[in-house]
Amino acid sequence: MFALARLAFFGFLVLSVLYVGVSIYSRLVRRRKLGKEWDTEVREGDRDAFIRAGLEDYDNSFRRKLILLIYIVPVVVVGLTVYLVNFY
Amino acid sequence: MVYLKWAFRAVIALLILGFFHYTLPQHDIARVTDTYEKRIDFGENSLFWASSDVGNAETTVNRDVFFIQAKYPNGDVMVYRNEDTGWGWPPYFKFDTSNLQAEAADLKSSADAPQWVVIKHYGWRNEFLSIFPNAVSVRPATGPAEQIIPWLNIVILTLFAAIFWAIYVRWRRFRAARIDPMLEEIEDGYDAASDAIANRRGRISRWLGTWRSKK
Repeated sequence: MFALARLAFFGFLVLSVLYVGVSIYSRLVRRRKLGKEWDTEVREGDRDAFIRAGLEDYDNSFRRKLILLIYIVPVVVVGLTVYLVNFY
Repeated sequence: MVYLKWAFRAVIALLILGFFHYTLPQHDIARVTDTYEKRIDFGENSLFWASSDVGNAETTVNRDVFFIQAKYPNGDVMVYRNEDTGWGWPPYFKFDTSNLQAEAADLKSSADAPQWVVIKHYGWRNEFLSIFPNAVSVRPATGPAEQIIPWLNIVILTLFAAIFWAIYVRWRRFRAARIDPMLEEIEDGYDAASDAIANRRGRISRWLGTWRSKK
């Protein structure tokens, strides 16, 4: 059981680093896209307010929650591997 | 400098290639000739052995290991070890070592009446290090010439290439946008500074020159 606990602990650490990194990167990309959209298409009103509203939409979006797959997919893959290698 | 750069890249590429070649599963078609177990005292080669079966003590210095002896259709022999990978590396999550040994023993056959089997394994056989590939599963083969498409390896290598490429492209873009201009600025500053020094040296040597006797 200790080996499993160790795997879970370090796996959680690594996946958390990945999750935070991808979250930050994804938000930056969204911000850049919003800025570009304002520059090329909107061009009226407050640019910062436009970006802020867009990011708020993003924070509540399903797309953002998809990043949680970083935690879910490896666990599913490990479970599937355990089944296929040992019991299939 | 260019050679050094390419040598460095070649070493990295070789390491990645070796890593995948060792870790990814491969399929052998062979005939199981015998199964046995042997006490192993791990030495320099301990890196190439897995740990003891899940649930057993982990700090033992030696233990019995299952082996599977096999013969290829072309007459070469191969010896596989049969060990739990447990929750460790490589991530095969194999716990059914004893069951696998029972299956392998059941598929044993003689040269007269060969029962060909597909042995899935990872790892290398090396006589100089006494290391053996670790068998992961056995199943009866349709014949000695069965064709196997390594779907899992295709998927894993494609995913690896895709992720590598995604990060590489972003890094290139980041470097072009942020780091290269900074380096150029530093270079420009350095050029300006060395020009200034050269100028001053020129002035000093000109001044010295005024003291030299004119021939």
